[in-house]
Amino acid sequence: MWFFPHGCKGGCNTANEELFKTLSDAVVSCKKDDVIAAVGKAKGKAPAVELIDNGLAAGMNEVGVLFERGKLFLPHVMMAADAMSAGVELLQDELGSSGGASSKLGVIVNGTVEGDVHDIGKAIVSTMLQAAGFEVHDIGRDVPVQNFIDKIKETNADMVGLSALMTTTLQGQKEVIELLKENGLRDKVKVMVGGAPATDAWAKKCGADCYAENASEAVAKAKELLL
Amino acid sequence: MATEYFLRMGDGQKIFMTKEDIRADIEAGSADAADLGDIPALSENEMEHMLDIITSPGRIVGVEPGMEVPVTHDIGAIRIDGDQGNSGVGIPSSRLVGSMIHERAFGADTMELGHIDYSYKPVKPVISQECQTMESCQQNMIIPMLYGAMPNMGLYYTPDGPFENPGDLMKAFKISEAQDSISHAAEHGIRDMTWIMQKLQNVGCDGVNFDTIGAAGDGDMYASLHSIEALRKEFPGIYIEAGMAGELVLGMHGELEYDGTVLAGLWPHQQAPLVAKAGANIFGPVCNTNTSRTSAWNLGRSVTFTKAAVEASTIPCHADMGMGVGGIPMLETPPIDAVTRASKAMVEIAGVDGI
Repeated sequence: MWFFPHGCKGGCNTANEELFKTLSDAVVSCKKDDVIAAVGKAKGKAPAVELIDNGLAAGMNEVGVLFERGKLFLPHVMMAADAMSAGVELLQDELGSSGGASSKLGVIVNGTVEGDVHDIGKAIVSTMLQAAGFEVHDIGRDVPVQNFIDKIKETNADMVGLSALMTTTLQGQKEVIELLKENGLRDKVKVMVGGAPATDAWAKKCGADCYAENASEAVAKAKELLL
Repeated sequence: MATEYFLRMGDGQKIFMTKEDIRADIEAGSADAADLGDIPALSENEMEHMLDIITSPGRIVGVEPGMEVPVTHDIGAIRIDGDQGNSGVGIPSSRLVGSMIHERAFGADTMELGHIDYSYKPVKPVISQECQTMESCQQNMIIPMLYGAMPNMGLYYTPDGPFENPGDLMKAFKISEAQDSISHAAEHGIRDMTWIMQKLQNVGCDGVNFDTIGAAGDGDMYASLHSIEALRKEFPGIYIEAGMAGELVLGMHGELEYDGTVLAGLWPHQQAPLVAKAGANIFGPVCNTNTSRTSAWNLGRSVTFTKAAVEASTIPCHADMGMGVGGIPMLETPPIDAVTRASKAMVEIAGVDGI
């Protein structure tokens, strides 16, 4: 688990709790200047990894919750993610060579299957995955089956996200999975399906690894499968 | 063994549940809407009534005589002809014939003319044809004939339009550029929708249906509300129906306002007053169906949202009832058992004025 919204990783004292809350609140405000100021004050008072995990990342998790409840939206998520990245950047010199939370969580190819021109839901999922720390290659909408395979090979992807918003294009998700098998990639690449007509039952039927109902769930399921 | 009743999942799958489990799902669905929208959940009596509707033994159910409400069809003019997996039945017929069949055979109370693309932007180059067809319909039909299409602001962004795609810009962290792109597209949308309806009003059109407002987020709703306002000002007698795309206005821009209210994050009961303020005659509230939940959960949730919208609205509410909305399963041709149950609940519990 990368985020610790309701407590501190490994325990923490009251002073640190306040420090982490200030960092978290700054991220939730979606203001880069606030985050930079908060990190500037917190730097050196706790290990950088804890400042990121218990402060900045906890705030990003709260942003995700508010996004899911319709209180914050994509621009806010992006502003928060941008602010958090700036904060992490300030702590880079203290992170050492271990990489910490700033390292990529995995590589994901995301796209809407052929014949389906819906873009927004898939774009939101891509953004949320990116904001959570995954390397995301969004290959757009109405994507030919072969293009998914080509991109997976090119990027050495760990997961592919397949979106379809119509019952008539849902079958395209299965076609990508079949082609993954034909190319000997299925064991290496996790498959997530989503979109209005998709369900858990469909994910099982078409041979996907999981179904995600929304962008927040997509992030949680991607972490479950890849971390 | 307890008696089990037939109902459906949100994806249409047939399931059987006990009365107790159905009642629990109705309550959970209503509670979910109440929590998200900060609105009252359904009362015990209302939930019991919904339970009776769902467990009614007949394949179809209906309201009592005298309690019927007007029914309007979107894109019905091409529903007879359509055969591209778009819920049409593939019987060759013109749009005039399709509309007349709805009027004279199916008992539709109002009808709308719609183009196959069913978005405003593509109507611009074929406006003369639309005007001619509208005129023919008006000359042959009695019921009110509207023109309907989707604001569909997505068509204004690359690769379909001139403005940079906000989704692409967001991913590149170009947030203010994305917001600018949405604002520019909205101004074009206002201009186009208003111009198209000016042309159609001049050939005797009875009104307009803004169908699926907000499909591309808050910019979509911003453009629609301003176009409604402009049309009301120019045509005081025009009949304007404003139907939503989803239960929540997504904040693709995040900061757009109408009449001092931020559009992002509005639920149906908050959308209704703004739509009335803009000048619409009818508000079409929407609640989305969750395909992984039962129809009991979805109907409990949908009726709770819609009831709050009806109570908050100063204009009549015609609930959007179809595949994937209004507590109805997500199927190309929604099953009649679920459609009639959801419709009865909307009329008798949510108190909608039409469907």
